[in-house]
Amino acid sequence: MTIVPALDLFVAGIVLIVAVWTVAARDTMSAVVGFVAYGLLLALVWVRLGAPDVALTEAAIGSGLAGALLIGAATRLRAGEPSVSTERLGGAGRVLAMTLSAVVAAAVAVVLLSLPDPAPSLASEAAANAGVTSLGNPVTNVLMAFRAMDTMLEKVVLLLALLGVWSMARDHAWGGRPRSCRRADPEGPLVLLARVLPPVGVVLGISVLWVSADHPGGAFQGATILAAMWLLVLMAGLGDVPAAGGRRLRLVLVAGPAVFLTVGLGGLALGAAFLSYPPAWAKPVILVIEFAMVLTVATTLGLLVAGPPERSAER
Amino acid sequence: MNEFLTAMVGLVLVLLALGLVRVLRGPGDADRMMAAQLIGTCGIAALLLIGVIGGTSAAIDVALVLALLATFAAAAFAECARRATQPETLPETERP
Repeated sequence: MTIVPALDLFVAGIVLIVAVWTVAARDTMSAVVGFVAYGLLLALVWVRLGAPDVALTEAAIGSGLAGALLIGAATRLRAGEPSVSTERLGGAGRVLAMTLSAVVAAAVAVVLLSLPDPAPSLASEAAANAGVTSLGNPVTNVLMAFRAMDTMLEKVVLLLALLGVWSMARDHAWGGRPRSCRRADPEGPLVLLARVLPPVGVVLGISVLWVSADHPGGAFQGATILAAMWLLVLMAGLGDVPAAGGRRLRLVLVAGPAVFLTVGLGGLALGAAFLSYPPAWAKPVILVIEFAMVLTVATTLGLLVAGPPERSAER
Repeated sequence: MNEFLTAMVGLVLVLLALGLVRVLRGPGDADRMMAAQLIGTCGIAALLLIGVIGGTSAAIDVALVLALLATFAAAAFAECARRATQPETLPETERP
C-alpha cells in the first residue's frame, strides 16, 4: 500500500510551505495566524511520527496558548507597525545579511553532518529501567523520575518568566491586576462559550494529567488546557485576575516547586540522593508532585498571557 | 474498511490544503483566522480517522485537545479584534 507514505509526504510538504510563509510574511497578524496553522499541522505530524506526548504539547502550547499570546501581542503592536515595516535595508546591508545567513546555515550544516551515527542515546537504558517506578508511560518516567531535576528547574524558569512580565508594571500598579477585560455582552457568544466550554476543558485537562502515568499525557499539557479555560472565563469578563500582590496567589505560584523541592530534599535525607523516590512509593509520590505542579503551572501560564499589572489591587 | 478510511484521510487532507490557500492569500486577518480554524477542523478529522485506523486512543486525545485549544485561539482572536475596533476605557496607567 503506497497511499500512506504519499499522504505523509503531502502533510510534510504543507507543513514546510506554512513554515516558510510564516517566516516570510510581512504583516505580523498574518504571520501569527500562519503560526497557529503551523502548530495545528505539527500536532498531526507528531502523531504520525508516533510521539503523541509531543503532539499533545504542540496542540496545547504551540497552537493554543502561544497563539493567543501572539495574537494579543500583534494587536498591541499594530499601531506602530507601518513605520517599522516600510524601512528597507540598503544594498550593502542586504549583501551582509545574506552572507551572514549563508555562513550560519553552512555552520549548522557542518555541525549536523559531523554528528556521530548512530547518535548517542540513553533510550535503551531508560527503557530497561522503566519497571522501577511502576509507571507505564516511558515519557512520564523520564520527565518525573530519571530527569526530575530538569523538570523541577523548568517550573522555576516559568516563575522567573512571570517575574519578568510582572516587572514590566509601572510603580503604582505593582502588585495589582492586569488590564481589565471589557465586560462582554452577557447574551453574546463569548459569554456562552465561556460558560459551556470550561466544564469540558477542566475534565479533559485533569484526565490528560491523570492518564499520563500509563498513557500519553502529562502535567504540563493538562495545566495548559486548564489555563486556557481560565483565560476564556477572564476574556468573557466572568471573573477577574487575582492581584499580583495577593498572598494566596503567591502561595499557589510556589506550591509546585516547593512540593518538588521538599520531595527532593526528603530523598536526600532519607534515600540515596536528591530527588530519589522510595521505589515502593514512586508512583504516589510522582502523582502528588504532578498535582501540585498542575496548579502552579496553570496559574503561571494564565498570568503570563494575562500580562503585566496595569491597575492597582483595589477593584 | 481501512482502505476506505485511508482514502478519507486523503480527502480531508485535500480540503486542508484548500483551506491553506485562504490562509496564504487572505486578504483580511479574519479570513486567515477562519481558514486556520478550517485547517484545525480538518486536522481533528484526520487525527480521529488515524486513531480509528491505527487503533491508537492517543490520537483521539490529541484531537480533543486540538478542538478545545483551537476554539480558544479563535475566541482570543475575536476578542482582540473587537478590542482593536472599539477602544475601551483607558487603563489607569494612561489616565492623566
